[in-house]
Amino acid sequence: MLNKTLRAAVAGTFLATGAMAADFTACQVTDTGGIDDNSFNQTAWKGVLDAQEKLGIDGRYLESQAETDYEANINSLLGGQCDVIITVGFLLGDATAAAAKANPDQKFSIVDYAYDPAIPNVLGQVYSTDEAAFLAGYLAAGMTKTGVLGTFGGINIPPVTIFMDGFYNGAMYYNAQKGANVTVLGWNPDSREGLFTNNFDSLDDGRAFAQNLYDEGADIVLPVAGPVGLGSAALADELGTDKMKIIGVDADLYETDPEKGYVYLTSITKRMDSTVYDVIERTMNGQFVGGLLVGTLESGGVGLAPYHDMEDLVPDELKAEIETIRAGIIDGSIKVGG
Amino acid sequence: MTSPADIAAAAPQRLGKGRQRQARISGAVLLGLAALVALVFAQDVAGEATFRLSRPTDPLALPDLVVPALPFSYAAAAVLAFLGVRQFLRGGVRWTSLSLGFGLFLAVAAFLVWATAGKSFSLTGMLQATVVRAVPIALGGLAGVLSERVAVVNIAIEGMLLAGAFTGALIGSLMGGLGGLAAAVAIGGLFGFILAALVVTYRVDQIIAGVVINLFVLGVTSYVSSQVYQEYRFLNNAPVFRPVKIPFLGDLPVVGPVLFNQNVFVYGAIVMVAVATYYLFYTRMGLRARSVGEHPRAADTLGINVYRTRYVNVTIAGMVAGFGGAWFTLGSVGRFDEGMTGGRGYIGLAAMIFGRWHPVGALMAALVFGFADAMQQKLALLNTPIPSEFLAMSPYIATIIVVAGLIGRSRPPAADGQPYAKE
Repeated sequence: MLNKTLRAAVAGTFLATGAMAADFTACQVTDTGGIDDNSFNQTAWKGVLDAQEKLGIDGRYLESQAETDYEANINSLLGGQCDVIITVGFLLGDATAAAAKANPDQKFSIVDYAYDPAIPNVLGQVYSTDEAAFLAGYLAAGMTKTGVLGTFGGINIPPVTIFMDGFYNGAMYYNAQKGANVTVLGWNPDSREGLFTNNFDSLDDGRAFAQNLYDEGADIVLPVAGPVGLGSAALADELGTDKMKIIGVDADLYETDPEKGYVYLTSITKRMDSTVYDVIERTMNGQFVGGLLVGTLESGGVGLAPYHDMEDLVPDELKAEIETIRAGIIDGSIKVGG
Repeated sequence: MTSPADIAAAAPQRLGKGRQRQARISGAVLLGLAALVALVFAQDVAGEATFRLSRPTDPLALPDLVVPALPFSYAAAAVLAFLGVRQFLRGGVRWTSLSLGFGLFLAVAAFLVWATAGKSFSLTGMLQATVVRAVPIALGGLAGVLSERVAVVNIAIEGMLLAGAFTGALIGSLMGGLGGLAAAVAIGGLFGFILAALVVTYRVDQIIAGVVINLFVLGVTSYVSSQVYQEYRFLNNAPVFRPVKIPFLGDLPVVGPVLFNQNVFVYGAIVMVAVATYYLFYTRMGLRARSVGEHPRAADTLGINVYRTRYVNVTIAGMVAGFGGAWFTLGSVGRFDEGMTGGRGYIGLAAMIFGRWHPVGALMAALVFGFADAMQQKLALLNTPIPSEFLAMSPYIATIIVVAGLIGRSRPPAADGQPYAKE
């Protein structure tokens, strides 16, 4: 623990700031996994970078190296230097609520957390990720050759398991539509238990867990564990994409992990960059209101990334069905809740 | 390690009592396991547990191992009860550890059969994962053994692993896998040398020196990976050593994929453990090293250069840890990510203690950990009623049980952790 605390202190000194002083400063506190995780934290930070570019704001971030850093990092950003503090991640929920209540004049926004009741100075950014994951589940069920899909998560918390729920239900929807018998390993939506690495750091866990799923027959794996999923991509790279394909999460991993890009069938995108940008813009224009900002398939807050290199592998018929289902989810005729 | 014969000569009385007690405790544990198997596992179990041994594509495919769950549970409970009762009837008998070991094996088997009843999983895959997951821990543990045998406590293993992982990825990206591996070993050796310099020449507190190295490596690697690798991605894109199949042996069912179709790190770990055992216990150099760890003053009096011995062994320990660190990048995922060793160095230290400061012991402890780790991954897929957080704890619990039950008290080298000042 000593180790982690000091590590945080080390990281804290590398506080990154925008190039020039601006009138508006947006500050971000990341979750563990790092700003460079190619996925969760990085996508949220991209929202600030976009705002820097387009709105001319000043952006800075603090990395949380351990769960013990959340409170300290938030506190060090208090004191009026930040116009809005954006905390990234469900696990920062308690620390953000405490800081928001103690500092009612400071505007906060948190990714992946909805307070009930709402806190007037916190704008929660939540995502109907299951809508996009549903599409990915249907796609994977249509693509698998072994009839077995696999998934694993980082930690058993709602923003992670919502991916797994949607993925599972999408595959089951495929079974119901086609009379198929595709199974999903690694998540049981009834018992709410499944395969979890219990960290967002150890890339070799991602490889080992994917190998485990492969040994049980899975040929398409959805890792919902931030950078840990890059380890799964390494295994797919070694086995070859005919034996294993990966579905990315949060960002379009074909773009953010270009070296292994070809192993990704698609990615379930959670456009934290667009909601973060949205929050910054609203705050700048004086339209900040506490409550919720929901990213959906309809609003483009969540979605399915392009197939890129797999474009030719995915049958046109399946692509068309995905589009139909997308429309069905948006108009409410298809329920992703299983 | 003191051989049982020495103790027997010194205190036959005490030995007898201690043995008696140990036998009775083992008996009680075995009876408890028997009750657990009979009353819990045998109760709500039905059908057959299927363990897959081969892939259909294997050259010598074995049929699946199908175990009828209920009869197996009762048979296991009966054998466990027999072993337990035997401990009481013939207290102090030989084979106490053997009985306990076999009993634990049976209990784990019964547990797996219970969890798998009506389903199936790949047993070979689980055993293969056991070996793979044990590698960094075994190498970390071996690094610990090599340095603590010369009485230098090596907390810095975690940092050395991380440095090895980082360097392996960086140089591996630029110069290929072998270059990366050599650089990782070199950087590990460098940190070993620095640790030796700090604790031997400057007599810095050994724990503090180790922590300093850990923090330094963590800070530098995290900084570079978040600032430099983001811009220059080609610096963090190393090749991964592929598995090398040993001819014929690699085609054998079960043992082939588990032991003879692995990458260079698995073979390397096994060879290093063997070489280290030979070195420490069968060569003159090893004897000298151990004497420096047990009683440096006596060793010095006899003309052994204590300082040089410590420098050499701690540097070698660092090289072993650097090799182990390279596993994370060159042997697994081909890229570095901050903090990716995830505390495996500390688990390696624990493996060293559980393995009684012996290379083979450290390897065994690492394998126990790896097995429990691989098993919890399989259990998570089998939809057992056990919560996943509990499963995640199981590797640690298993290690504690096996160590406390089978290994008993372990004794560090007598001078471990003490600086030595020449007079």
